[in-house]
Parts: sequence; structure tokens; C-alpha cells
Amino acid sequence: MRPLRAWLLRLGGLFQKQRRDSELADELESHLAMHIEDNLRAGMSAEEARRAALLKLGGLEQTKESYRERGGLPFLETLLQDLRFALRTFRKNPGVTAIAVLTLALGIGANTTIFSWVRSVLLNPLPGSGDPERVVALETLAPNGDWLPTSYLDFRDLRENCKLMESMSVTKPMVLAVGNDSSVEHVWSEAVSGNFFELLQVKPQAGRFFSTAEVDHEQNAHPLVVIAHSFWINHFHGDPGVIGATVRINHFPYTVIGVAPKTFHGSMAGLSFSMWVPATMYGQLSSTGDHTLRDRKWRTFRVLVRLSPGALIEQARAEVQSQANQMALRDADTNEGTSATLLPLWKAHYGIQNSLLGPLSSLMAAAGVLLLIVCANVANLLLARATSRQKEFSVRLALGAPRFRLVRQLLTESLLIALAGSVAGLAFATPLGGSLGDLLPHSSLPTLAQAPIDAGVLFFMIALTSVVALLAGIVPAMHAAKSNVQATLKEGGRAGGSSARSVRLLPWFVTSEMALATVALIVAGLFVKSFHHASEIHPGFDPDHVAIAQLSLGAANYDAEQANSFCVRLREKLEGAPGVAAVSYTDYVPLNIAAGSWEDLQVQGYVASPSENMKIYRTLAAPGYFGLMKIPLLEGRDFNARDDMKAPPVMIVNQEFVRRFIPSGTAIGRRVQGWGKWFTIVGVASDSKIYRLTEAPMPYFYVPIRQIYRPEMGLVFFVRTSGTMDGAIATLRREVQAVDPTVPLLEAASLNDGISLSLFTQRISASLLSVLGSVALFLAALGLYGVMAYSVAQRTNEIGLRMALGAQRSDISRVVLGQGARLAGIGVVAGAAMAFAITRLLSSLLFGVSASDPLTFVGVAVLLTMVAIAACFIPAWRAMHVDPMVALRYE
Amino acid sequence: MGDKADVWQGTLALMILKTLESMGALHGYGIARRIEQISGDILSVNYGTLYPALLKLEQEGYVASEWGVSDNNRRAKYYKLTRAGRKQLEKEARDWEQTTAILAKFLSTAEQS
Repeated sequence: MRPLRAWLLRLGGLFQKQRRDSELADELESHLAMHIEDNLRAGMSAEEARRAALLKLGGLEQTKESYRERGGLPFLETLLQDLRFALRTFRKNPGVTAIAVLTLALGIGANTTIFSWVRSVLLNPLPGSGDPERVVALETLAPNGDWLPTSYLDFRDLRENCKLMESMSVTKPMVLAVGNDSSVEHVWSEAVSGNFFELLQVKPQAGRFFSTAEVDHEQNAHPLVVIAHSFWINHFHGDPGVIGATVRINHFPYTVIGVAPKTFHGSMAGLSFSMWVPATMYGQLSSTGDHTLRDRKWRTFRVLVRLSPGALIEQARAEVQSQANQMALRDADTNEGTSATLLPLWKAHYGIQNSLLGPLSSLMAAAGVLLLIVCANVANLLLARATSRQKEFSVRLALGAPRFRLVRQLLTESLLIALAGSVAGLAFATPLGGSLGDLLPHSSLPTLAQAPIDAGVLFFMIALTSVVALLAGIVPAMHAAKSNVQATLKEGGRAGGSSARSVRLLPWFVTSEMALATVALIVAGLFVKSFHHASEIHPGFDPDHVAIAQLSLGAANYDAEQANSFCVRLREKLEGAPGVAAVSYTDYVPLNIAAGSWEDLQVQGYVASPSENMKIYRTLAAPGYFGLMKIPLLEGRDFNARDDMKAPPVMIVNQEFVRRFIPSGTAIGRRVQGWGKWFTIVGVASDSKIYRLTEAPMPYFYVPIRQIYRPEMGLVFFVRTSGTMDGAIATLRREVQAVDPTVPLLEAASLNDGISLSLFTQRISASLLSVLGSVALFLAALGLYGVMAYSVAQRTNEIGLRMALGAQRSDISRVVLGQGARLAGIGVVAGAAMAFAITRLLSSLLFGVSASDPLTFVGVAVLLTMVAIAACFIPAWRAMHVDPMVALRYE
Repeated sequence: MGDKADVWQGTLALMILKTLESMGALHGYGIARRIEQISGDILSVNYGTLYPALLKLEQEGYVASEWGVSDNNRRAKYYKLTRAGRKQLEKEARDWEQTTAILAKFLSTAEQS
């Protein structure tokens, strides 16, 4: 209380300095007078009395000073003084100040933007949930180490047996057809177990959420739905009466029981879901439920886990593994060789964060490099300015200013510049944060395309600003404090003089900027090159002029026969439509982000080693698929209409399949067992890319969709068009509607759009790193220009003298250009060496280009050197045109 | 004057409070003189520290000041103890006595050993 009161009074004292000072003067005067009177009374002479009194009072000025210090807050007063002075110096050098502020705005803005992305995607993946640090993802591991979703039964077993988990919930993103026949809307939703909201510690905005006891025991018995806040506002205008209302979902009536809070968007980072239904309703909504929820082979669910208080993820993971391993033995027919593990959410393999982890980390690193360059640049400017202010500092020191006051003054100045820079940076980070959506793959997914600038981001920025101010300010400040009063003052009018030590520091900054820019550009170059390589890979099929439509027969409650006749009818309709060259359908789109399905195979004549993974991925294809996709059939025949349920099962395998499992003899006619049946190989297709353009060939096979298909599987119609893509997509939509309007069409797009997803991480790494690299190059060039221009200005005198003594203009420009080239050269060489060490760590992210790709290294070096020379050109030109007469009179 | 002890840091405030308690309202010069007299002229109050100390006490609310007229009809700033100052004086005096008692005990045992 007392100290606070005193502090407030002192703060107030700042504003009444005048009055306080005069009052003290009065007080001291009366003190003196009383003392003198006493002394006179004691018998001293008038003069003696006065002298004794003054002596006793001590230094009048010191008394006043310490009184003043007590009266106000000297720290704050000095700060205000420094700020005022800093602003005055800025006004005197508006150009330098503006460049410094803009440079900082670039660096701080870029870092803040990228940090806000990282934060919303990786650090805070579950906005709106409580205590998200304890929520982790559970994933099943395939025998070959692939990450898989989890089957509902495995989830139930794990939930029952694992003790280190407070709760465990499934979620499954799905598209639901909401509304009645006249207006159906497809809504992204999650099928979740009853404890989903409880696990995430979300409280309803209105109504209530489901519970485990309520919905997790019986299948298809609880048609309840929780809607998102945005859905509530958009469809019900925020009407609280929505609770208890009925909405039709895939034609079934569902009762709205609750509204989620505004901040909650579901359980996948970067995505925004609109509805949540009980997972036990999955059967009704997808018509696969009876399988999905009862068959361990249907691994379709993501699993979220909240760890028990005090449990470490490592302990819980060990428990999950041991349970999963027991299940692998107990349910060997489905689970043999599988395991399970726990991962922090940001490492989980489902959701946006998985695809963005790599690009975002490299971007964050690049932004860090950019910030270092910015610091070096600003330090450069400050140092150059400090050098020209050398005289001012010397005078202040000579007048008795303590050195730390000079340091403080300069640090205040750099802090002020950094602050201005961060405000400017924030101004352009705010719109950039919203552009997170542009980073995400273009798809029908409901992306939450915003990275809000919130308290965490602001805190980050403030911390960043302070670090930047310190980094950029400390060298010039220390330097100024060291200035030699005698020497500088003796140099007379010469501003600073090039003998000052700081001038020798400038090249260091420029060199390190050049080095950092080299690193940034080499890394960017490697990513660009690797993106080019990846995008030039031929996928093994021809995606041009192909439109695809993903359908959900499950939502229409078809059985296998109905599904088949739907497909046949749709195919006929499409084949009759104008502009359609070929039609086929499968259950899978290659190079999509979705994982495919596999089957355990046994190949006649091939003895698999006990540890060998015989789970081979496959596509179910209708006749004409290979022709439409232009995947060459190297041997045998395509499927045809006679390959149906009654006909003997047949199979087409790819080249890699043959290479691996049928090393000798002919593949055609060879028998392969899967789904408990023996298939005969009737054809060999050439290899094509399945998951990633960058993958190595892998064994793959195709079976006729009629022989295996169940309506719960995906269904994709392919159309090769001789007309326009938009026309083909419109045809697809129209014909699906015509055949059965109740079948939801999830997505109709060009196949190329789908494929671009598989390259999007490479693409954003390449494009954003190029942007950051160019900014780095620009800043380094700016830094070099600044230093050279400064150096020429400092040497005007010397240059004039040289010219007066007969030096040619070309000699002068050679000196200047040579100096610049030397600085840049050292930087480029050092940067290349650094890049050589750093790129090694990135080699796993690169494709088709070595981490020490000589072309990139040399190209960047040449580019930087050229830019450096260009940056030196203006100063060199200025030096050339120095008029000796003017120069010698300079100063 | 050189053989006189300077007032220790921290004890000056206590002395000021005590002086004001026994003398009532008093100006700075009077306080200084009083402290010197009480100490039998052993102590010498540095006036340079007296005024900042008074200001601090005022900011903390232990003393209040107002301008008045001295016995010799001279304008002077008078300080007087506030209620909070009285409490603070009691507390500090108690603390001080405790400290000196402990120190005295400590010194006497140290001599015996």
C-alpha cells in the first residue's frame, strides 16, 4: 500500500517539477536563514555565519538533485527524455528511419504471420476446447508401419482396457445430406462417440451434448444431432427454440439437442465442421454401419484420447501398445501384425496439420533467417548513424554523461524503431493471417481459413520486437559508449572520421547479411527445383480432360444390386451425353489425399517369408478404366461386362506386382487368393502412381468392381471429355441428379485438381520460400547499398584528393566496385558453406535434387554477386562523378 | 566536524518521526538541530539527505507538511506526524529495540567467550 502510494505520488510528481523545485528552493532558503540567525546569535560575524551555514548544508545543487530524484521517477524521466531525443533524431534523418522501420516491418510481419499460422494449425489445433494439452491422437499401425485409422471394435477394446486414459473418443468426418428432397445441402460433419464433447471439455452454447451412457450402446437408436454455432446462426438465425427441432439428415429425422459454442469447430485442426452425430448412427447415415461398427477390418475412425491427470504420454503409449499387441494375437484374423500408438495432435496423420507440418517448419526457419538479415540491416543503419554521431557522443561524454546513458539512449532509439516496425508489421500481418486458407489444398473440405492475431500471437510479437531491438541496437550502442573522447574531438569537424572503429564493423554486418541471404536463396532454390522435378513426374496415367465425381451410395441406402444397377444406368446416361469420350468408375481416386484399401494376398507359386507384408493395396475398377486413364495394358485383357458375380473372379496386376511375386513364367493365368477366393490374373497394367507422385513403384492390383463391391465403399465416376472441363462437370452433376436425386454427389472436379493436392506441400514450400528468399535478397542488397553509399560519402574527401592527383574515373569506380564485390564475395562463400551444412538436414524434404545441388549453389552465388555489384553501382557512379574541387572543400 | 558520526541510513527516518512525536510540528532546520542536540552533538545530520528523507516520509503518508511562520517570523515549511506516522514510529521503535537487544546480547556473549 505505502510503496504504491509513494510511487503514484512520484508519478504525479513528474508533472509538477517546477512547483516542487521552487518550493524546495524556498524551504532551503528559510533553512539557511534560520541557521545564519542561529550562528549570529552564537556570536559569529555575518560573513562567518553565512559561510558556516552554507558549509553545513552541503552542496546545494546535490541536495536539490537528490530531492528531485526522490520527488519524481528518475527512470521514467530519463526514458521520456530519451524518447523525446530519439524522436528528434528520427525527424532529422527521416530516410534512414523510414528504411529501418520498413525493413523491420517486413521481418516482424513475416514472422508474426507465419507464427500465427503455426499457432492455429500446430500449437492450438483444438480451439474452443478445454485443457487441450492432455488430448492426444491414437493411431493404428499397419504391419508395414503405415499409419491407419482405427476400427470401432478395436477402439471399444482399447477404451475398456487402457487405464492411463481419462477418456477416449472416436470421430469420423462425413458428409451428410441435410434437408428435404427439394433442398438438400451437403454438410461436413463428424460422427463421434458420446463422450466426444466431454473429452474436449466443450460446454454447449445452448441445449446439451450427448453422453456415453446415452448413445454408445445401441446402434441406430439415437437420431440426435449437435449443430455448430455457425450452422445455428445461418440456418436457424440463432433461434434458441432450435433445441428439440427436427432436421432431416440423409432422409432420416434427427433431433437437435444442442448447439456448440462459437469457438469450437470440431476435432481437426484447420477444418470447420457443422454437425456432430453419434458414431452409433454411422450405420444409418452411411449404410455401412453394420459392417463398420462390427468388423475389425473397417478401420475408419480417428481416435482422440484424453490422458489421465499425471499420466505421461510415454506411459500411456506403452499401455496402448501392449493392449494392441494382445489384440493382434487375440484377433489374429484381422489384426495380425498390427499395433497402435499415441501421438501428440500436431504429429497425428489425419487432418491439415499433417500436410502443413513440413512446410510450416521450413517457413518458420526461413522467416527466422529473414529476421536475422533484418536485424543485421537495421544494426547496419544504426551503426552508420552512430558513426556519424560520434562527435555528439564525444561531446556528451566530455560533459560528463555516464557511458551507460549513451548505451541507454541508443537502445531506446532502436527499441522505438523496432516498435514502429512491429506496428507496421502487424498492419500487414493481419490480412496475411487470413490468407492461411490459400495455403490449404483446394478441396471441398470446410477449411477454417483463418489464423487470428490473438493474445498469444501478440505476445510473440512483443517478445520478438524486444529481441530485435536488442540485437540490432546492442552493437552500435556498445560502440558509441566506447568512443574515444580525445581522439574524436581532436578530429575537429570531420564527422566521425573513417578511423572510427565502427566503420570496420559495418562490413561484418553486410557480409553476414549476404551469407544469410545466400542460405535462404539456396534453400528456396532447392525447394523450387524439387517442386519442379516432382511436378514433372508422369503419374503413369493421363489426368488431362478427365472429370471425376465422388458419390455416396451409402447415403441413399442402396443394397449391392441397386448399387450396381445405379452404376450401369449412370454409365449409360453419361455415355450418351455430348462431349463424353469415355466413362468408367472405381472406388478410389489415385493421388488423392485419402488412404486406399488393401487386401491380404497369397500368390500361387510365391512363398512369402514370415515377416513379409502381403497386404497389397488395390482398386476396384469397372471395365474401361485403363483405357480412360490411358494406363497401358502390357499383357492380357481389360475387365469386361461378363466379369460379374457369377463369373470366375479375375484380377489385373501392375508391373511391380509381377516383378515382385512372379519373377519367372507368365503372369497371365496365375492364381492369387484374396477375400477367401481365388482370382485369375487376366492382365498386366503398367505401373502408375497411387499415393504420391514421388513414391517408388509398388505392387498394386485391380479387381472388377462388380465382383467385390459393396455400397458402403466409395464410388467415383470418371469421364474423359472431348469438350470443356466445366461442361463435363456439369454433365456429371446433371446425370447423377437425373438417375437418382437422393444420391449425394460429394464432389465433382477435374482429376488434375485432385492430383494437385498430392503436390501441394511441395508447392507452398517452393512458392513461399521463394518469396522469403527474394525478400532476403532485396534486404541484403539494400544493406550492401547502404554501406557502400556511406563509405563513398565518408571518402568523398579522399576520392577528390585522388582525382586531383590524377586518378581516372574508372580507377575510382573500380575501387568502389571492388570493395563491394569483396564484401559480397566473402558473404556468398560463407553462406554457401553454411547452406551446405544446413541443406543436408532438409534432404528428406527434397525430391529429385541433391542437397548439395551444384547448379543451385552456383546459380545463387552468381545471382547474389550480380545483385551485389548492381547495389554498388550507384555509389560507384557517385564516386566517379565527385568533383575534386567540391570534394576538397567538403566539410 | 570530521570526528562526528554521520546518521546511519535508515535510522534517519526513525529519528525524524521520533523528533516530530516529541516536539510536534517542526521545520526541517529545527528537526536537524534537535537530532544533533539530542545526540549530544555526536551526530551530524547531512542536510542533503534530510530533505529527500522528509519528502519520502511525506509520500508514504507518515508526515504532512504545510507552510507556516517560525518563532522569528520567518516563513518555513512545517512537518507534523500523521496518524499512520505514529503507528509506523511505534513499529519501527519496537523493531529497533529488538534489534539492539539482540545485538547487545550477542556482543556481551562474544566478550565472555
